[in-house]
Amino acid sequence: MAVSDTQAVAATGRSGGLAVPSPLVILKKYYSVLLLIIVWEVVARLNLVTPFLLPSVSSILKGVYKATLEADLIRDTALTTYRALLSFCVALVIAVPIGISMARIRVIHWFFDPIVSIGFPTPKISFLPIFILWFGLFDRPKIFLATLACTFPIVTATYLGTMGVDKYLLWSARNMGTSENSLLRKVIFPATLPQVLNGAQIAMPISIIVVIVSEMLMGGGGLGNYIMVAQRFADSVSVFAGLLVISVLGYLLQKILEKVRALVLHWHEETQHESK
Amino acid sequence: MADIVARNVRKIYNPDKRYPVLAIDEVSLEVRENEFVAIVGPSGCGKSTLLYMVAGFLDLTAGEIKVNGKPVEAPGPDRGIVFQHFALFPWKTVLRNVTYGLEEQKIPKAEREKIARKHIDMVKLTGFEHHYPSQLSGGMKQRVAIARTLAFDPEVLLMDEPFGALDAQTRGVMQEELLSIWSKRKKTVLFVTHDVREAVYLADRVVIMTARPGRIKEIVDTKFAGYKSTEEVLESAAFAQKTHQIWKSVREEVDKAGPLDG
Amino acid sequence: MTVRSTIVVLWRYAPIFILLAAWQMASELKFVPDSLLPSFFDVVHRWLEFLADGEIAKSGTFLWDAVRSFFASTVVTNTAASMWRGMVGLGLSIILGVTLGIAMAWFQKLRDFFEPIVMISYPIPKPALIPIFIIWLGLGHISKIAVIFAGCLIPIVISAFNGARGVDRYLIWSARNMGTREGKLLWRVVVPASLPDILSGIRMALAISFILLVSSEMLAAKSGLGFLIFFLGESGEYAGMFAAVLTITLLGFFADRAYLTIMRRILIWREE
Repeated sequence: MAVSDTQAVAATGRSGGLAVPSPLVILKKYYSVLLLIIVWEVVARLNLVTPFLLPSVSSILKGVYKATLEADLIRDTALTTYRALLSFCVALVIAVPIGISMARIRVIHWFFDPIVSIGFPTPKISFLPIFILWFGLFDRPKIFLATLACTFPIVTATYLGTMGVDKYLLWSARNMGTSENSLLRKVIFPATLPQVLNGAQIAMPISIIVVIVSEMLMGGGGLGNYIMVAQRFADSVSVFAGLLVISVLGYLLQKILEKVRALVLHWHEETQHESK
Repeated sequence: MADIVARNVRKIYNPDKRYPVLAIDEVSLEVRENEFVAIVGPSGCGKSTLLYMVAGFLDLTAGEIKVNGKPVEAPGPDRGIVFQHFALFPWKTVLRNVTYGLEEQKIPKAEREKIARKHIDMVKLTGFEHHYPSQLSGGMKQRVAIARTLAFDPEVLLMDEPFGALDAQTRGVMQEELLSIWSKRKKTVLFVTHDVREAVYLADRVVIMTARPGRIKEIVDTKFAGYKSTEEVLESAAFAQKTHQIWKSVREEVDKAGPLDG
Repeated sequence: MTVRSTIVVLWRYAPIFILLAAWQMASELKFVPDSLLPSFFDVVHRWLEFLADGEIAKSGTFLWDAVRSFFASTVVTNTAASMWRGMVGLGLSIILGVTLGIAMAWFQKLRDFFEPIVMISYPIPKPALIPIFIIWLGLGHISKIAVIFAGCLIPIVISAFNGARGVDRYLIWSARNMGTREGKLLWRVVVPASLPDILSGIRMALAISFILLVSSEMLAAKSGLGFLIFFLGESGEYAGMFAAVLTITLLGFFADRAYLTIMRRILIWREE
């Protein structure tokens, strides 16, 4: 209780100096984006290019609105989110123990090191047809493939993080009577956490990408499927609308992960600097 | 309370590899109960290695080290250590860092909070209990590290260049505080430093080590009795003379070590 | 290579050989049906067939025919198609991305203009652009090149920008002090100093380019390894599909290794 109190005080003390940016400041900062949107709208309205090639911004926004009302866009967004998040979480559960044990146990390192060093740089999406062959046509191949793709960056980051734990931190804990067995939980894991989260932040967009590409290729709903169907029906408005929703989804998931990071690593230097 | 006895200690790094390094050779040393002994020597002479062996982090190649009559086998809370770079747990607050060792000693919660707060107060950090290490200055971090180590009440205090990472002013203040804490709570202290003045000022005896392989070159008594204040000690002729003598002795070793170990 | 280092390499990659052996055993012992997992030897056999199936008009000279047939084979033609697309797309994005990134760090006006655009396009999952580029540029080479270009551009811009912005100002001051003129400062100090960031950005882009390449070829192409994988999968030719997947896997791995080697060469001056 006392901890959060002093922190709250410290936080209010800091944010007191920050002014809320006025609309004019935002306008000035993002003028290029606004300009781009205006030029786009004008080009589309004047029919300088066909609406098939470039639908106007307003018609895309209208498209998003209409598709939301018809609920199919919401369903597809939910499907993609579910698949991406599930894969991401399963990958975390699998990858963190592998990464830590690679750093601590020689045999495990020997076994996984060549697999990771070959598997990491290769495009996992090429395994999709194999996964379809093995796991059928519905959710499973999509989720398994995204899980596989997310595993590599998290394993690598966790491994490097565990290897890099300060020797003196470990010595210090042992000096104070921490047993070898509890060293993992009390020191190694928290000290590795920033690196694990780095890996997670790399993995999150990968999970979205793999899910979307497999939806594009396999169907079965989801935003990838949504834009692919729209493209086949030459419905450019829906293609752009889908792209917009996918981008917002990617942005939101990334932001949420950043918030989680700041929350989990509230003790870390980076968090202290940000809030100053 | 305890004493430290090292007999014919030798340490070879990479004994099985192609280039083994003889770091420490035939070191024998006795530190009496409640005595403050400093070790000085050129960089790479193995003074920290010796300290880590007393702490139990490194194995001996030959010889033996006994603390309180028992041979050292593993690290343990009877020998508290303070590192140059603090080694505080960055994810724990000041208070939780200090209670950590007590928790490992299975001391009940209420009591360990009390002990921790007492030690935080002793290093003058009251009010910072709920800060994280990343919010503290170097000097404050080292105070936490000292409070953390003293809190679990080790019989022996091992200090590995504890003030080496601090600026000159902070270092002076910290030295004085360490002395005042030590005079109130006597402990056996083994203190590694490359600052000769610091060693002469703090220690009862100063051990000078040779360039690699580290051996004990000489041991100088540096107890100054009969002075009223710190300033008086620091300004006395005896202090200046001892400092100069030890500095010259270390300097000879630095020159011997040559540019490679510089 | 000495005997000793050969053993070291073999030992290091032994788990891969163990996995391949396990794969072969699983097929031999009928743990899994061939329809789900063709045996490793079948896959290798199919791969060799793909390497020898180049159809050419015989000229009569054996060696010349062999060379021409090699270059007309399924593996080589499709690999070449993929690599051509990938290299052009990635190459263009490197040229434009590095230039733009450094210019943004150097000229405040450019930064004000481009930074919000870059930041807004960063979180777009790049493969979602594929349908749009198909609408714009059709099903040929160009749409794939454009997708790879667009997908790789942003990370390269960001890494070049961060690298150039993070150049130690004392480095710039001391160069000026020694008489480097403003015009040459960029080329002689800023570019080399930001090279580590740029090169690691390009490495990331290399990985992205492979993902985009394979996805776009799977979605819409008549050639390339991605096309081959999907085509063979659809037609139930599983040994061939595995062979194509192995080809792209090895290609991705060796591309990354080669890039890493070059990067280390260039950055030999850097302290580890």
